[in-house]
Amino acid sequence: MLGKLTWDAIPFDQPIPLISGAVVILAALGVLVWVIAKGWLPYLWKEWITSVDHKHIGIMYVLLGLLMLVRGFIDAIMMRAQQALAFHAQGYLPPEHYDQVFSAHGTIMVLFAAMPLVIGIMNFVVPLQLGVRDVAFPTLNSVSFWLTATGALLVNMSLIVGEFARTGWLPYPPLSELRYSPGVGVDYYLWAVQISGVGTLLTGINFVTTILKMRAPGMTYFRMPMFCWTALASCLLILAAFPVLTATLAMLTLDRYLGFHFFTNEAGGNAMMFMNLIWAWGHPEVYILVLPAFGIYSEVISTFSGKPLFGYRSMVAATLFICIVSFCVWLHHFFTMGAGGDVNAVFGIATSIIAVGTGVKMYNWLFTMYGGRIRFTTPMLWSLGFMTTFITGGMTGVLLAVPPADFLLHNSMFLVAHFHHVIVGGVVFAVLAGITYWWPKAFGYRLEEFWGKAAFWFALAGFYVTFVPLYVVGILGMTRRLQHYDVAEWRPWLMISAAGILVLIAGAICQMVQLSVSFLRRNELRDTTGDPWDGRSLEWATASPPPVFNFAVLPQVQDAEAFWDVKRRAREMHGSGSEPHYEALEMPRNSPTGFVCAFFATIIGFALVWHIWWLMIVGLVGAYATFVVFAWRDVPEYVIPAEEVARLDRANRIARQEAPYGASAI
Amino acid sequence: MTIDANGHDPEYQDDDRGGASDEHSARLGTYVLGFALAVLLTIASFWVAKTDLIYGPGIPVALATLAVAQMGIHLVFFLHLTTAPDNTNNVLALAFGLLIVGLVVFGSVWIMAHLNHNLMPMQQLMQMQR
Amino acid sequence: MSAAGTTITISDPYRLARGPNLARGHGGGGPATKRVIVGYGFWLFLLSDIVIFACLFATYTVLANATAGGPRARDIFDLNHVAIETACLLASSFFCGLATIAVARRNQILIQAALIATGLLGLAFILLEASEFAALYARGDGPTRSAFLTGFFTLVGCHGVHVTAGLLWLGTMMAQFFAKGFRPDIGRRFLCFSMFWHFLDIVWVAIFSLVYLVGTRL
Repeated sequence: MLGKLTWDAIPFDQPIPLISGAVVILAALGVLVWVIAKGWLPYLWKEWITSVDHKHIGIMYVLLGLLMLVRGFIDAIMMRAQQALAFHAQGYLPPEHYDQVFSAHGTIMVLFAAMPLVIGIMNFVVPLQLGVRDVAFPTLNSVSFWLTATGALLVNMSLIVGEFARTGWLPYPPLSELRYSPGVGVDYYLWAVQISGVGTLLTGINFVTTILKMRAPGMTYFRMPMFCWTALASCLLILAAFPVLTATLAMLTLDRYLGFHFFTNEAGGNAMMFMNLIWAWGHPEVYILVLPAFGIYSEVISTFSGKPLFGYRSMVAATLFICIVSFCVWLHHFFTMGAGGDVNAVFGIATSIIAVGTGVKMYNWLFTMYGGRIRFTTPMLWSLGFMTTFITGGMTGVLLAVPPADFLLHNSMFLVAHFHHVIVGGVVFAVLAGITYWWPKAFGYRLEEFWGKAAFWFALAGFYVTFVPLYVVGILGMTRRLQHYDVAEWRPWLMISAAGILVLIAGAICQMVQLSVSFLRRNELRDTTGDPWDGRSLEWATASPPPVFNFAVLPQVQDAEAFWDVKRRAREMHGSGSEPHYEALEMPRNSPTGFVCAFFATIIGFALVWHIWWLMIVGLVGAYATFVVFAWRDVPEYVIPAEEVARLDRANRIARQEAPYGASAI
Repeated sequence: MTIDANGHDPEYQDDDRGGASDEHSARLGTYVLGFALAVLLTIASFWVAKTDLIYGPGIPVALATLAVAQMGIHLVFFLHLTTAPDNTNNVLALAFGLLIVGLVVFGSVWIMAHLNHNLMPMQQLMQMQR
Repeated sequence: MSAAGTTITISDPYRLARGPNLARGHGGGGPATKRVIVGYGFWLFLLSDIVIFACLFATYTVLANATAGGPRARDIFDLNHVAIETACLLASSFFCGLATIAVARRNQILIQAALIATGLLGLAFILLEASEFAALYARGDGPTRSAFLTGFFTLVGCHGVHVTAGLLWLGTMMAQFFAKGFRPDIGRRFLCFSMFWHFLDIVWVAIFSLVYLVGTRL
């Protein structure tokens, strides 16, 4: 009846997951009860859960990403603490639990923290920067978000019901095959990643279509803001890479569920094909994350230097170059597998070449700042922190790209330090810069600067104290994922690293304090102009927060190169001059399709993990019914009357005319 | 892509100008010609596979060529993919997709061939040495 | 610039794209028509699907010789069977083209007839493929027999699953044309469906050439 699900699945004998799971469930229930008691449920349902507005979906993505970032960070703290304690000892985490922690940390950080954060910012910003009213497929956008949330839910469910994979964040066979991983951990991984992967693929389709086919009149390709270019490149990579992930994990699933022989040891299966395919997704994946991050830095650095981005076209070229070449380097993740000198040389050289594109970008940012009047705001600090950190991480990456060096450093702590330098320094800093930068646009008030800067300095210092020692232990020969060790010379470095994580915790606390303090002081920090930073692209041409239709009149983009001028003109049209002629607008209707899809996807995923076949069929039938109901719907849009558009826009125009431009800029 | 000027019902034409596979470009002649070419190429492929008239090792190459030709026929005659300006983005996206497909397929096969060569199972190695 | 003269609303954000020169060249023509947007989005989906098939092709190629003592390609393929399957699918695609013409001419009877022919031929293809699979199973040469058969069943089966999903979609399309007539949104869906169906043909060309035909000669 319930497949493999029994009471044994609940870890009554393991206090750590049991207690943390119970706390999370209680907190979630508490929030739910609070929301119901306050009578906010209808509001939540109408304005958020069923919303197809790209701004609301973007904010929900970021919220999901932040929650998962905290979860992944807790895993990280547990690992650093374990390695600090487990010298000639077992530490406090038994091996089977420690293995789940590092697997969950990688999976969550890459797929359920970084991806939602990056996609969330894309969701919020791209249509505004393009000067349009929504993405190409608004309902699909909602489906994407809710499928991602389903994946995150399944991963976290594994904490309490059953177990998570013990195979690392990429489940390498034959370890991940049924014979060596008979539990449900790998199955949780497979279905969670598969379901959220579908959501990500849909996002890729949605945004490539939006960026290529829906820009404000006059916005030619070379008038698009840099963030839109990087979002385009990133989404093209999603389109090309995520199907590879889907196919590869589907093969592993077939091996585990139906006894196929893709990657098994028996009957001619070839485990190396898995490494090959998974990294054909895995390497582009890191560029999927980091390209939009580069876009965020470009926007931030240009705005706070008060200058147009230096070398716009070379930046576009470098972005597209990285987009293509990122598909030519995947073998550098397994130089040591034994493909031989010829193959290793080709991929090693390609890997070194891809650094050139990033180098071009670094110089462009430097020259953007050169001669500018730099304002050292929190987003700018994150950007500067990124430039130093990413260069260090990039250099160690080029070192690892040399096959003979890689043979020494492969799978060592050196590698761990390298990819944290590029991903934390590249993506996490970018996301925090982006959140601070676009927060006033999303909520109508700026974030408090003092606590933001404190968060930055603690995070930067904590980051270096945590990860530089890991380079050292890597060179001293420590491999990654060790549950305990008995080499005395590693010990001091791992203690420093554990101290570093304390500083990082301080940074995280400052970040939370910043959000709370800003919320409490939101009236002082209010942005009435819609342009708190003296920005340079179209999102600053509308109100903060923008009305549901973004722009009462689609802006006419006229200038060849400077977004500055673009914005001035858009502003003239909106803020001053004669009032435009308002017309009634049609906006897409809210739809519970996404939420209902995710509900059935959760059921299907859970049923498949536990082999509860009847429940899976129920889920499939429900999903198909949802599809038919959605397809049968007759009126997908509603009309906002011209008077309502005019009323909303006039309020914004008055506020703009009262405040001189850039007055609230720091 | 031809944009049909001999007006169909305006109500239905509301917003459907341009784009890939615009049904206004649908002509019976196009489909008949495409179908005929596809059938011919299919017959040619099956003939090549069965014949002894062609140099054996050349057959896979001949089959691959015929397959690519037939896919092209399908793209042009059934999916109406042309190089007209409206179709630029479609063609570019296809080119990007094909580049990725090429990289993944040939890259994988190349890598795995080298791996198999370097890490041949002992049994097979012994057989080869015999 | 007079704002009033160039006002665009979402009820017709497409007017500009119809202007003579704006839509050409550098993409400064404003948002495209809904039909272009939907068609392009689906085109991108098909490209991502091609990448999935590419992975399956690559895996099949890598595993093709890993027969583990089981049958090889030339032992199990029946080219006459494949020829009939191919004929069904090609003819089905042709009828789908006829349906496209019927939609352009707004001829309900012709649409339903063409779609029924499309569907029946597709169904025949699926049944033929199922019989081939069943025969292999019956001989003990199922996908669990060897890595080669695993790759073969997955690649060809994945195409079969796509055709089956296409048949479900086709039924929905027929019902929608019947119940709702020629609304623009139904027309856009049909555009996607026809792209999907022709795309499956292209994948099948690759399968019969590179799996079946080359397989029997190796």
